[in-house]
Amino acid sequence: MLPVTGTQEVVTSTASPPSRSFPSTQDRPTTAGQALSSGSKVSKSSAVPPPVKSKGLNSGALVRQMRRIIAEDAEWSLATVPLLTELCIQHIVKNFKNNPLLKKLLPQHQQKVLKLLSPDLPLAVTANLIDDESYWHRCCVLRWPVCHLDSHGSWKRVFFERHLENLIKHFIPGTTDPAVILDLLPLCRTYVRRIRVDQFLPPVQLPSRPHSAGDQSDSGSEGEMDEPTMDHYQLGDLVAGLNQLEELDLVYGVKDCGMNFEWNLFLFTHRDCHSLAATIKACHTLKIFRLTRSKVDDDKARILIRSLLDHPALEELDLSHNLIGDRGARAAAKLLSHSHLRVLSLANNQVRAPGAQSLAHALAHNTNLLSLNLRLNCIEDEGGQALAHALQTNKCLTTLHLGGNELSEPTATLISQVLSVNTTLININLSCNHIGPDGGKQLLEGMSDNRTLLQFDLRLSDITQESEYLIGQALCANREEARQRTLNPSHFLSPLTAKGPENPAS
Amino acid sequence: MNPQSGPLGVLGENEEEHLTAEIRGPSIHSENPQERIQARRLRIAARLEARRREALGEYLDGKKESEEDQSKSYKQKEESRLKLAKLLLCGTELVTNIQVATDIRETHRRVEEEELRRQRLEKLENEVKTSHDKFDEITAKWKEGKEKRIPQELWEMLNTQQEHCAGLIEDKNKLINELQQELKMKDDQYVKDLKKQSDDISLLLERMEEQVKSVMKTFRQELNHIEKAFEVERQELLISNKKKWERALQAHNAKELEYLTNRLKKVEDYERQLRKQRVWDFEEYNTIKIKLEQDVQILEQQLQQMKATYQLNQEKLQYNFQVLKKRDEESTVIKSQQKRKINRLHDTLNNLRLKYAKQIKQFQEDNQSLTSEYKRLVIQYKELQKSMRHFTLIDDEKFREIWLMNEEEAKDLISRAFNIDKIIHTHHLGLPWTAPDFWFLKNVGPISQKQQKSATQILEEVLMQTEEEAAEEAGAAPESYLDLPKRVSAKTTRKILMLLCDESGFLIESKLLSLLLPLEKNECYLLRLDAIFSALGIENEDDLYTLVNFFLKYQAHHLPSSQIGPWHLSPLQDRASLASSMEPAEQLDLQGEEKQSLEEEEAPSSPRLIHPNDVLKILEAFVMSLRKPRDSRAPVKLLKEVRDNSKDSEYWKALATVVSQATENLWDGLYLALEKYHFVLTQRAKLLAENSALEQQNTELQALLQRYLHSKINEELQIPPIQVFQMPTQPKRP
Repeated sequence: MLPVTGTQEVVTSTASPPSRSFPSTQDRPTTAGQALSSGSKVSKSSAVPPPVKSKGLNSGALVRQMRRIIAEDAEWSLATVPLLTELCIQHIVKNFKNNPLLKKLLPQHQQKVLKLLSPDLPLAVTANLIDDESYWHRCCVLRWPVCHLDSHGSWKRVFFERHLENLIKHFIPGTTDPAVILDLLPLCRTYVRRIRVDQFLPPVQLPSRPHSAGDQSDSGSEGEMDEPTMDHYQLGDLVAGLNQLEELDLVYGVKDCGMNFEWNLFLFTHRDCHSLAATIKACHTLKIFRLTRSKVDDDKARILIRSLLDHPALEELDLSHNLIGDRGARAAAKLLSHSHLRVLSLANNQVRAPGAQSLAHALAHNTNLLSLNLRLNCIEDEGGQALAHALQTNKCLTTLHLGGNELSEPTATLISQVLSVNTTLININLSCNHIGPDGGKQLLEGMSDNRTLLQFDLRLSDITQESEYLIGQALCANREEARQRTLNPSHFLSPLTAKGPENPAS
Repeated sequence: MNPQSGPLGVLGENEEEHLTAEIRGPSIHSENPQERIQARRLRIAARLEARRREALGEYLDGKKESEEDQSKSYKQKEESRLKLAKLLLCGTELVTNIQVATDIRETHRRVEEEELRRQRLEKLENEVKTSHDKFDEITAKWKEGKEKRIPQELWEMLNTQQEHCAGLIEDKNKLINELQQELKMKDDQYVKDLKKQSDDISLLLERMEEQVKSVMKTFRQELNHIEKAFEVERQELLISNKKKWERALQAHNAKELEYLTNRLKKVEDYERQLRKQRVWDFEEYNTIKIKLEQDVQILEQQLQQMKATYQLNQEKLQYNFQVLKKRDEESTVIKSQQKRKINRLHDTLNNLRLKYAKQIKQFQEDNQSLTSEYKRLVIQYKELQKSMRHFTLIDDEKFREIWLMNEEEAKDLISRAFNIDKIIHTHHLGLPWTAPDFWFLKNVGPISQKQQKSATQILEEVLMQTEEEAAEEAGAAPESYLDLPKRVSAKTTRKILMLLCDESGFLIESKLLSLLLPLEKNECYLLRLDAIFSALGIENEDDLYTLVNFFLKYQAHHLPSSQIGPWHLSPLQDRASLASSMEPAEQLDLQGEEKQSLEEEEAPSSPRLIHPNDVLKILEAFVMSLRKPRDSRAPVKLLKEVRDNSKDSEYWKALATVVSQATENLWDGLYLALEKYHFVLTQRAKLLAENSALEQQNTELQALLQRYLHSKINEELQIPPIQVFQMPTQPKRP
């Protein structure tokens, strides 16, 4: 079978003009003989004649016997000499810093080049040129031992976001050149969507240290004196340059200070506050804003929230672990009615009853907020009752966290009423309150009418184990129902879809 | 509906459509658009209903299936799911318990802190108050001290003051110490809290890890369980399927065996039948073979014959073929010749065509010139005709004048001759003389010359004639025909005209009618007819007679068949009767007219038969027909002008021979005698005349001589002529 094909090939090749590099008419019978004797290899090579092989045949006019064997061994010549493309690619990789050639190459060559590129090339070269994920993965792995892709989207984004965060974290105002960060801006502006900084270093201030160390007991009054000198890095320029920024997660504090602890290190100054407010106001793409553990008091919270009023994109605001009191809570309540906020967290603050009441007032007619977190505040029964009243009219809120708020029986009774009425709430947390056995019973009653609630945390709230168990049972039933609903959405939707085609037909 | 089930769905729809079309009243293919819309709506509703039912059914079926068929695996799955859910819930609770615990601790701490702070503040306030009091006391005492002059007292007092102050300071210090102690405690507490928190965190981590581990383990376990359950189920299914399969195989084998035995039996049966059939077939075959062999022989003979005929035919055909070939060759030669000829002819044809075209052009030109010439000639001819007519008229006139003149002269001569003859007869011969009577003597003017009378004149004549006739009681009927020499009797004519006059009064103007009323009957008729004829366009005699003829013809046409007989005979009779009364010239003239209207001739049958109601129809037809012949009048008239002069010579000869030979002879004899007599008489008369002339001459000469002699001139002259006269008179006198 195979020799036949070989002869055919020879015949056809001789019939056609010698455009292919056969030596001469004299050699034809011999090559034909080769083809006949050598079987598979010739037929294979003649089917796909590589340039190297044809060269071998050319020179084979003189020393036929030797060449016959060598010419047939296709791999022999290929193995010893690297391909020109390989050499070129190696060269390109070597000189990539000076002459970045990538887009002009063929796709398979691009792949090779990217595979061979070293991850420590200057960002100015690579940032806007390379989109390949594997390259940026290598860069990330090289720089950070632990890194993963969750919620980032692409490795390139991971790299740039973490790189930028790193720079901000280690920026010392006054000593570090701000150009270090701003130079990066044109390279990373399209890739950075989230800035998550958990430390801002204060300016170095050697002479003032003993002085401030002396009155560390009452830093609150002294802090204002040092404020001009204690400002942190101003994010304004950076954020203004990042046109894709969606999430801002900041902690004004110092990590790993060890025995060098000073209260001054944890100061969120007024100027910081003002600049941050201006920054977030200017950033129209911002969706999530978190400012936690930064000693934000009422005034600063009001400044920040005022800048966030009527923000076009903001969806989540997290000011947990701060010092926000009732006035700040009132400002947040105002924000609720002047924005599209979906998640609001004021956990671990100092909100009391009046603040909770104002929040409840805003919540009563809100149609955007999905989650409200007031953990570890002190809203007490007055605030709790107000919130419960608000929930009777609210048709949007799904998650409510009121853990550790000194709530007791009256709130529980009202919440049980809410449970029987409300059909949007999915998750309620009333742990660490003093609800008491009677309150527990009332909540159980409320649960019996509810079909939507999936989680109801009542741990450490002084209710009887029996009612807790029964509530758990009801939650289990609700969860099962919800699961059925998600498994068979078609069944519930089928009447709707069936109605669909009627309209265009009629 | 997914695309794979598209055709099926369409099929289903079609079926459904058929069904619904059968069942339902409103059809999609109906004429009424409303009904069609209704039908479509119903169809959509039915389809939706079916789909919903299907979905529901599917859902229920699925559920049932999961409950019954896949019970084991489903149960296992459900169990595992619940178990895992519980595990996860518990795990998260266990982990979050730490947070909750810290939360509640924090809240407790906060409450305690609040309490402590409150107590501290109270304490401080109290302290401030007491120290303030003490301070006030001390300051009050300073004033007292100032008043004290005695040093001991002052010293004492200062001591006490110092003590007081020391007490105050001590109090303060105590408080500070307390607070510092509290602070220290707090620091300790903080350290403890830190430791606790780190413990908590480690615990949290531990728990999380544990949780992760346990969850992984349980998940794996459950997975194993589920897999096992599936495996078992599969095994069961396999076993059951195998059993089923085996059972089916056994059944199949049994059936196969049965079929085999059946088949064998059948085979045997068929073999037997075959054998029988074979024998029978063989016999039949033999008989057929013999018969066929015979047939073959016959056929071979026939074949031989056929072959012979074939040979013959072949030869004939070959010969024919040869002949035809020859002919073909000839024909090809002829064809080529013909072709050549055709070509040549084509050439000639083309040439001729060219010529023809040229000729046509030329002839067209010629034609044009000739037509123009012709037109010119026509015009000339017309002018010529006009002039000719003019001249003919003039000629006629002249001819007539000359004729009349000649006739007059002739007649004069004749009358003279007759007179002379009479004189001769009466005076010379003494014989009675009778005047000879000849027709031509009465004739005046040319023979053919006959005046075209106008219609009204004829009318008048007719009317008058009839009147006369009425008066004469139709006695002199033949004479009256002389005036109206027509084949129609005047009576009928009159009747027809009366009828016409009565029936077509509408053609007369109303004014005229009113004017006519007082007139006499005949006159009235005359005027009325005049008006009617002017309206109808009847101008002359012929028209009038055609009208009358028309009436008669119409009547003849419309009369029943009984009248046809006389109608056929009538023209001959009529002509015969008329011929006698007609002058020959007139008859000739009439014949020209008769040529075109031979059929129009009518018997003078009674016009009573014409119904008054038909008059109008006849009139209409007449007017229609009158209009047509008017155009062809002119040439007819011209023909009429040509007159026959054969009779003229006869006439003139007759005129010449009016005096007979006898009388001429008589006259000749008489003439001779009279000549002789005349001669004598003339001699005598001559002599008489000479005599008288001489007498007169004599008298005249006498008178002249007298006058000359008596004139005065004679006296004046030297030589008076009288003297001269005397001389000539003397010779003359002889």
